[in-house]
Amino acid sequence: MTVARSVIYLEEVATGAAVEAELRDAIEEAQLADWQTKWQPALLAVLQELIRKGVSPASWPQSWHWDWRRKAAGVQGLLAFRGFAVVAQGETQGLAQVNLTGVAREQSQAGKPLVYLDYVEVAPWNRPELGSRPRLRGIGTALVAAAAMLSDDEGFKGRIGLHSLPQADDFYRRRCGMSDLGPDAAYQGLRYFEMTPTQARAFLAEEDGR
Amino acid sequence: MVAKRTMTLNLTDPEMQALEDLATRKDITKTAILRQALRLYQMIDARVERGEKLLFENEATKEKAELMFL
Repeated sequence: MTVARSVIYLEEVATGAAVEAELRDAIEEAQLADWQTKWQPALLAVLQELIRKGVSPASWPQSWHWDWRRKAAGVQGLLAFRGFAVVAQGETQGLAQVNLTGVAREQSQAGKPLVYLDYVEVAPWNRPELGSRPRLRGIGTALVAAAAMLSDDEGFKGRIGLHSLPQADDFYRRRCGMSDLGPDAAYQGLRYFEMTPTQARAFLAEEDGR
Repeated sequence: MVAKRTMTLNLTDPEMQALEDLATRKDITKTAILRQALRLYQMIDARVERGEKLLFENEATKEKAELMFL
């Protein structure tokens, strides 16, 4: 399969400068190798520091146990799943896996198809909640925008849905403008968010203007 | 965007009616309905091949029914 690549721009936090990046519509071996050889050691260092400080596991970064190699293998060859990767400065900066068989719950859209974001993760060095100043900003937003654009391409009018880890609730609510449908008892109590077609148009228009 | 190929599809009247009804209810095109159907069929087939079962549960009564998938 040919991987589509489009140019996007991220912000280098230290300088405020725009950094050219590539959005790819697949997760390839190079990304999995980056996750294994770069993300994992960086995350391990963060976890060791948290343990040293006596921080309880409940307050650790909630995606610390995600295994992207396993996730990618689990959906290999299945049409219902797609992956996205953001690559900049020669490294994978963010990954997302989406499911195209999701169904909307928001009252005005209930029963209509949407792109469900199974997993979204940004490289540890770009995550402000992990303690140090992030290197690049805009990766999570680019991945959400990619999902909304895929939804539009598929005829789902930009509808997307996801369960948010608590550390990201505000990002989806405020930055992405998604509807917060509250905690989902069937999904470890995580809050469920949806983007309606109207919200998707507004979000993508704002992203386009950046 | 992924390149697409075109095919002709022959449907009976009831099949076409069902397709049109679904497209209207789901607010997507007939092509999108068929692409969704293919994704779901492939995913379910892969899981059944692995030895899993497809079950429907009534949320109110918790009654479960297994869907036979051939």
